[in-house]
Amino acid sequence: MTRVTVSSASRSSVPSGPIVNSLKTGQLPRLIELYALIAALAISAAILIAVGFSIVGWLVVAALVYLVGIGVLSSLVENRRKATDRVVRGLVTVAFLIAMAPLISTLYTVIARGIGEINWNFVTSVTKATFNPKTLVVSTNIGAWQAVVGTLIITGIAALMSIPIGILTAIYLVEYSQKPTWMSRTVTFLVDIMTGIPSIVAGLFAFALFTLLVGPKAFSGFSASVALSVLMIPIVVRSSEEMLKLVSLELREASYALGVSKFSTIWKIVLPTAISGLVTGVMLAIARVIGETAPIFIAASFTPNLNLNAFFGAMETLPVMAYTEYKFPSTDMTGSISAAWGAALLLIIIVVILNLIARIVARVFSPRGLR
Amino acid sequence: MKLKNVAAVSAIALVTAIALSSCSSPSSPATTAPTKSAAPTVDLSTLSGTITSGGSSAQANAEAAWTAAFTSVATGVTINYDKSQGSGGGVTNWTGGSYDFAGTDSALNPAQVTAAATTCGAGGGLDLPVYLSGVAIIFNLPGVSKLNLDSKTIASIFNKTITKWNDPAIAALNKGVTLPADSITPVVRADGSGTTANFTTYLSETQPSIWTYPVSTAWPVTGESGQQGGSGVVSTVAAGKDTIGYADQSSVGTATQASIQQGTSGSTFVKYSASGATKAFQQGATTASNGTSGDLTQKFDVTKITSGYPIPLLSYAVVCTTFKDATQAKLTAAYLGFIDSANGQAVAAKNAGAAPLPAAILADVATSLKLVK
Amino acid sequence: MSATPADTPVQISNTANRPGAPKGSARTARTRSRPGDLVFKGLSTGAASLIMAILAGVALFLIIKALPAITANWTTNPQLTTGVTQGHSSFWSYVAPLIWGTVFVSAIGLLIGAPIAIGIALFISHYAPRRVAGVLSYIVDLLAAVPSIVFGLWGIFVIRPFLLPLTGWLNHHLGWIPFFSGQASATGSTVLAGAVVLAVMVIPIITAISREIFLQTPRLHEEAALAMGATKWEMIRLAVFPYARSGMVSAILLGLGRALGETMAIALIVSPSLIFSLKILTDGQNSQTVAANAALNFPDANDLQRDALIGTGLVLFIITFAVNLIARLIVARTGPGAKGAKAKRRIQQLPPSDPSSVLLADAEAGPLHLRTSEGS
Repeated sequence: MTRVTVSSASRSSVPSGPIVNSLKTGQLPRLIELYALIAALAISAAILIAVGFSIVGWLVVAALVYLVGIGVLSSLVENRRKATDRVVRGLVTVAFLIAMAPLISTLYTVIARGIGEINWNFVTSVTKATFNPKTLVVSTNIGAWQAVVGTLIITGIAALMSIPIGILTAIYLVEYSQKPTWMSRTVTFLVDIMTGIPSIVAGLFAFALFTLLVGPKAFSGFSASVALSVLMIPIVVRSSEEMLKLVSLELREASYALGVSKFSTIWKIVLPTAISGLVTGVMLAIARVIGETAPIFIAASFTPNLNLNAFFGAMETLPVMAYTEYKFPSTDMTGSISAAWGAALLLIIIVVILNLIARIVARVFSPRGLR
Repeated sequence: MKLKNVAAVSAIALVTAIALSSCSSPSSPATTAPTKSAAPTVDLSTLSGTITSGGSSAQANAEAAWTAAFTSVATGVTINYDKSQGSGGGVTNWTGGSYDFAGTDSALNPAQVTAAATTCGAGGGLDLPVYLSGVAIIFNLPGVSKLNLDSKTIASIFNKTITKWNDPAIAALNKGVTLPADSITPVVRADGSGTTANFTTYLSETQPSIWTYPVSTAWPVTGESGQQGGSGVVSTVAAGKDTIGYADQSSVGTATQASIQQGTSGSTFVKYSASGATKAFQQGATTASNGTSGDLTQKFDVTKITSGYPIPLLSYAVVCTTFKDATQAKLTAAYLGFIDSANGQAVAAKNAGAAPLPAAILADVATSLKLVK
Repeated sequence: MSATPADTPVQISNTANRPGAPKGSARTARTRSRPGDLVFKGLSTGAASLIMAILAGVALFLIIKALPAITANWTTNPQLTTGVTQGHSSFWSYVAPLIWGTVFVSAIGLLIGAPIAIGIALFISHYAPRRVAGVLSYIVDLLAAVPSIVFGLWGIFVIRPFLLPLTGWLNHHLGWIPFFSGQASATGSTVLAGAVVLAVMVIPIITAISREIFLQTPRLHEEAALAMGATKWEMIRLAVFPYARSGMVSAILLGLGRALGETMAIALIVSPSLIFSLKILTDGQNSQTVAANAALNFPDANDLQRDALIGTGLVLFIITFAVNLIARLIVARTGPGAKGAKAKRRIQQLPPSDPSSVLLADAEAGPLHLRTSEGS
């Protein structure tokens, strides 16, 4: 007789313990998790009122009480496996809530401090200082337009260079180097190392490169774009590679079986299937580099003036503006710091808009009926 | 379908081509101004071009004011001053040829003088004093709004030999003030900075037996709270409790300043003031050229300051005597000439809290700027 | 390296060896090869080569710049005996505490961040109601969009004061643990604050990628596990995790890459010292990281000191590589591929042609091995 057994890759993940007939064992009521949560909140409140109440402490203790409580309850009434299941469900939810806290806190901080600064004038005007020769007073109207333009130009060029290179490399790794060749090994290895390039080093590299090419006054937006590309490419390759690998083999084979060429298979089948993941990866990469400050300083220097020429002269970006306004405030310190928050908020808004556009693009190109 | 494929491929090829062509395209040369015969006084409104500069962040606010004032007349000129570079970075970029001039809180050292001679040719580079200010001591002690300190207690606090606010040495200087028995948290600069160099100069010149560390742009004592930038120090001191720190006066803002004893004894304690810093310059500074003709490196002896602000901070512009491009030289000299005019110094005083440099040194600078060609 | 057979349960690298799949090289597939194919292959190979060129350029640049500082005499060279590099006997005595600090701070950040991130990814992919999941994943993506300078400012204005009471409490009650010992910080600029911010920064990266990978787990695997009576958690352990292992490691490594190289947030938040310290609650005994040290000291450094800082960057390079290599080795040793290699070779030789054998092959390549066993 042939016995069918379940074995798995790692021994530790084999379900242990006797198989219990769940129809015969006890079961907790359907809404037990809700009841347990309410009980935990109450117990936690009681404990904390005794020692001194704080909202953070209350929630932390409640979470602990809930996890312990549901675990004990379930292992008493049900069985150990169900207890683990319920505890993990609780843990996963708690992890999620923990992560929500900093997100909400960050967004709240940026919005609360930055919203007062953001208005049409701030966004669309260039920082302009006016000098009154009679009183010798310089009054500055802080605007972010030069930084908005700089951000879009520098990140845009970086993305234009990195996304094709990154995705094509991922395609090479996944589709064209079937057996690990020396080249695919080397490329994967190099991409691994590239993720570790400190951003400041990328800036130095770009500046040194352009000094070599165009002479000492090499500050330019394009040079900063090159620095950002060095940082961006490995992220795009890494995430795209994972996403392409996840495209089911059967899809490719079905396509080949119909006599479709390899290029068309990649272009029409693989890329559209993976597009949502690819877009996520690309957006992560853009979000990562759009907020860089150190390489921009080094490669594009700093200026409060508007510069539309990506190939010559200093350029400012929003993160640089936020950083300089905070680190080197003008004599009107509160004004500078709120301008820093304003620039930070504006940057987030830009990233959100880019993200939305990317998602729409992904939706348009992804095959119908896929998730 | 085939057509579409070709289109897609060519789109990618196009992107690559753009990327490649932009790699190889030579940068457009600096906008050049129409050549004009050298004249003793320059009509600013006829100037045009871009000055690329950077360095000391202490000068940054003054540079912003000077730029606004200068470009209000010289409308064709763009001035980029990169304050993120710091003094060292400014000089490094300048000796590398990237800057027309650099702002620095410490004059060129011998190695930099050699490097400058290579970059600038025979005439070398000049240190020109442009910005005078002071290092303020700030603190946050709940319930205490006025604090007197002398150089000895400051040195002892920052080298961690005085650790409590109610230490007898502090109490002796602040009669009638109730000082808490809490630990002192000194807040210092984590990044290398000219402010630190000026502050440690003050400490080691006034209290060589207590402050045994060398003068340095990096804070020498370990185990204290290090923060990035003057604003980092100021915000940490302000946000903390029982804290004390030092910062360039231009970044102090609303933080509470301690009063510092004038001289080594006596009962006069002063906070930073522009006139105090000017007085300190007149009493303590002497021109000590680094050997380059026209160089105006100042040597500060803070022990000679008897009635000015005890911790002055002097910042320079360093500039080549010989530019590769004569119009660029004229432009830069015109700007620096404006900075070191009585008018320029007044603009910095009005808008950045700087102390005006004495007229004598301004005259020296005007003479030196004639060497810039 | 992620293309080695050990990594993915479902092997894409076998494609060409299956009958019916076109051969990659033009020589054997002359009949099917079209110009588009050749151009595309050329382009993608070119892109891969370009990466090699870029990295070779960066590496060459780093080595050329770093060498003078590494070989210089740190006790006598006038450029190195002042300022930021003062008091170090050699490059190695300068960089050693930085290496320690980088690894230490990133490890704490990852220790806090990675489990939470995986938890969120699971919550979105397997626990949250489908409609909520879309919104949630968008919110987490938003967190990824927050630039590091914002996290730095947020860390200074929010996290530092927020953690101060906790710092005092931990130091007072658990001060006997080396991590919590020392003089508790009064300003909040501690390794703990830096690590918490790092954790928040790596969470969205790890979450975004893990989520996509969890969602791609074949339904078949999941349903097979559930059908056998597994609880949801067991199903995740049996079907989702093994399938997603390579991707999760990649995600965590990307997160680690960000943590190791993070510059501004650490430089703004943590009060640094160049020491070997385990303490995470003090003002003056926080180990400094390579990237933050470079950002802090670069502006005021002279030429040789800049070279020294670039040298520390080179070391960070090597650390990243070493961490990657170790992680990859771990995956290769414990991954399903280590045991299933034989099964895979069988798939290569005997391609599935009918639906039932496709299912079988799928199951075999995956974590759930349905196989006839005589011995066990």
